[in-house]
Amino acid sequence: MSNNFITYEQVLEETKKAIAETLNIDISRITPDSSLIKDLGAESLDFLDINYRLEQTFGIKMARRFILEHVEELYGEGVAIDDTGKLTDKAIELLKIRLGEKAKDLKSGIYIDEVTSLITVESLAKGVMDILQTLPEKCTACGGKDWKFAEHLQLVCSSCGEPAEYTNGDDLIVNYIENIQKERRIF
Amino acid sequence: MNLPLQDKVALITGSSRGIGRAIAQHFANLGCNIVINYTKAGGSSETQAFSLSDTINNMGLKSLVVRTDISSKEDVKTLFEKVKDTFNRLDFLILNAARAPFKPIEKLFERELRQLVDVNLFGNIFCIQQAIPLLKETQGKIVFISSLGSRFYNPSYPLGMMKSAMETVIRDLSCSLANDKISVNAVCGGIVKTDSFKVLRQMWEGIDKIPEDMIVDEQEIAEVVAFLCLPASRGIRGQTIVVDRGMSNQIIHFR
Ligand SMILES: [Zn+2]
Repeated sequence: MSNNFITYEQVLEETKKAIAETLNIDISRITPDSSLIKDLGAESLDFLDINYRLEQTFGIKMARRFILEHVEELYGEGVAIDDTGKLTDKAIELLKIRLGEKAKDLKSGIYIDEVTSLITVESLAKGVMDILQTLPEKCTACGGKDWKFAEHLQLVCSSCGEPAEYTNGDDLIVNYIENIQKERRIF
Repeated sequence: MNLPLQDKVALITGSSRGIGRAIAQHFANLGCNIVINYTKAGGSSETQAFSLSDTINNMGLKSLVVRTDISSKEDVKTLFEKVKDTFNRLDFLILNAARAPFKPIEKLFERELRQLVDVNLFGNIFCIQQAIPLLKETQGKIVFISSLGSRFYNPSYPLGMMKSAMETVIRDLSCSLANDKISVNAVCGGIVKTDSFKVLRQMWEGIDKIPEDMIVDEQEIAEVVAFLCLPASRGIRGQTIVVDRGMSNQIIHFR
């Protein structure tokens, strides 16, 4: 599965736009490596608003939960975040795989809040891109193989007009965690 | 001309955004001095709290901005010390602050459950306990902001059970504080288009199908809260007034 209709540059631009509108700040202040929380002042309600705007733009469903919440839903409370709000070594191991270079300084004992400030404009845009990559080969309604743009950057089937059915963000994260778990048995 | 709430002081918890902000603005329009409260340092709430404060100061009123995590008893003590130092009085305590995860009750982690109760039950009670000495002096009012989650199921809305608990707290306090001439009531809002609505929009499939004329404007809530702080409402005690444009009167909305 892939998506040849929407480029990463477009996604990045729309992500910046969504952030600028939500936080009511000038778009020129926003760079790919701006931390949403630390540099731009976003709070949890703002994230939901940004996600909502991106969902409307692309016709996708963004993840409702952060990766470590999914981990605990799958493997039990406490496996990722201990009862003082600090990350476990296992959580750090997973984040290092997930975030690569950005997570290289993560050490055991850091608090969950410090991790969420690692979310940048770029990582959000990449999250959108991951979902867009799940564009199915065929329309799930009629089997048609062609897509066209409807409103904004929403793809619909050229034959029947049904919106493209992407995998939702939470399912993508769960799949990711389960694959890593199969390979490495972290949790 | 004297405004109805001139020279009075209102503390509205969680007033940087949404309904709390609308209440703060409306009370200021009625001549009231305002204590603005928010929780998170360094973010968009803080920016909005201070911009609201500027607006109120420019109206020739006095405002105070205090960052407080109401779930911390110590923090709440400090909040009321600041109110006392700045205004040396309090007429209205408006309990609006709320914080909750959006997931079904059975899926809540222990820490989420504890935080839910810490903020939305303990936090409000800490505020009430600290406010009582000041409210006794002014024969003041307490108004709690509830939501329909107190009586109806909403998906992924564990805050509802805290709202029910608080409505009970309000009923009981209206009796136990009656001798002190402090009146205590609540306003229960329907679906209000605020920041939290953005959450609901993502959690409740089909919320977009609710008829537009059933969506409550935050100003409509603010005006009823103000009514509960004016002499006209002196006979109302321990009640929760529903402001939902009639949404809860009908099971199915066909429009
Ligand atoms: Zn089709």
